[in-house]
Amino acid sequence: MLEKIKKDFTTMTWVLIPVAIAINIAIGQIVVLLKLPVYLDSIGTVLVGVLCGPWAGALTGALSNTIWGLFNPDSLPWWPVAFFIGLVAGLCANAGLFKNWWKVILTGFFIALTAAITSTPIAVYLYGGITASGSSFITAYLLQTGQDVVSAVLSTGFLVEPVDKISTAMLAFAIVQGLSKRLIARFPRPENAEAEAGNSTTQLITALIVTAIAIALGFVVRNMLAG
Amino acid sequence: MHERLSYFVQRDSALHRTNPLTKAVLALSIILVSFLSPWYWTPHVLFILAIIPLSFAGKVTKEFFTTALRLIIPASGFIFIMQALFQPIGETVVFQIWVLDVTQESLAFGFQNATRIGLMVSAFTLFLLATHPSELMSDLTRRGLPGQFSYVIISTLQIIPQMQAKAQTILSAQRSRGLDTESTFLKRAGSLVPLVGPLVFGSLVEVEERAIAIEARGFTSTHVKTSLHEIPDTNFDKSLRWFLVALVVITLALKLWQS
Repeated sequence: MLEKIKKDFTTMTWVLIPVAIAINIAIGQIVVLLKLPVYLDSIGTVLVGVLCGPWAGALTGALSNTIWGLFNPDSLPWWPVAFFIGLVAGLCANAGLFKNWWKVILTGFFIALTAAITSTPIAVYLYGGITASGSSFITAYLLQTGQDVVSAVLSTGFLVEPVDKISTAMLAFAIVQGLSKRLIARFPRPENAEAEAGNSTTQLITALIVTAIAIALGFVVRNMLAG
Repeated sequence: MHERLSYFVQRDSALHRTNPLTKAVLALSIILVSFLSPWYWTPHVLFILAIIPLSFAGKVTKEFFTTALRLIIPASGFIFIMQALFQPIGETVVFQIWVLDVTQESLAFGFQNATRIGLMVSAFTLFLLATHPSELMSDLTRRGLPGQFSYVIISTLQIIPQMQAKAQTILSAQRSRGLDTESTFLKRAGSLVPLVGPLVFGSLVEVEERAIAIEARGFTSTHVKTSLHEIPDTNFDKSLRWFLVALVVITLALKLWQS
């Protein structure tokens, strides 16, 4: 088991991790600047999970949130969530769920479920359910209707996470398909990223369209809740 | 946007001379005690009795308070407002805004939570102000942490500002050729691709070159590396660390006993 994990941590993995963390943070900031209704702050984590295996992805996620805490203190307590996002992304990719666009949607969905479940204890225990994130308005609404804290936080997670995490997985997929085969072959798990059926240009375009639809869906949901 | 990613300020102080691991344990135990303690005022007392004296001991009081104003006050202030407004606990309504009741209990709860979060960030900031990242990593490597971890931490701290500068360049370049980043929702979502694409592909291509470069410098070598720079670890450091660990354990025991 340990030997198997060690095989995933090649020099390429160690070099990719810092770049992936920087990608997480840079894209997260671009998304804030564009005022989109998603976070997209774990694209790098998913990328490492796919190309270098689940444990490398988990490490990337945990470190990413810790280091992001340097200039955004609120992201610090959420490192276990990022840890599991990387882990699940890697596990899904190992199971062959990162090979075409509809499988990637499934991966995004699994990541979203994991994120919703793992963030619940943190939100409940640390913040009493109401966090500093915008989606807490939904939690507050559910609490007013008489739901208990755990189920209110959990339902908010299930409502908000899929849009964000499916877009994240799709963008990561588009990035992987855009990389040259020669570069991918240098990472520990190139077989995870092999596109099946249809050529990769079609896959790339589909991935981008699905991302756009997912983000648009998030926009609609947000408007409905605000209105 | 081009933010300096190391908070470290060079001073000659007792806190700076302390072993980096001791400082890390100190910061962590302050955080853990404040979250585990069953007593309501613990985070507030810790802030006054631990954080402020430590900032004097480290001669970084001025830097600490500027960071506090910029980072900590907005973060914990926001949490306080959210908690006070939306926490549906308590009976004694102090005042009402629209349909939201602000109760005595939710105010107290929000105040404690905000102080806890503020304390957590303060301890972390203080630690970073008085500890050079390379010193911490080389001390941990000497204690048996794989060298690869140090590489990841240190190089992340270097890459992030570079990446942010690159993102800024791409943003300006795309805007100058007319990319719409401010109008309708669909246009903004569409401009994600021309911004993210060059940034990600550009930096991923560099990965291979960097891997070859550090492999040529013995990155994967398992030999014990000697260090030019000795980091002191006194007996006082060692006993302080054990004392802090004991304190956390006692607090945890109290918490379990009380509930």
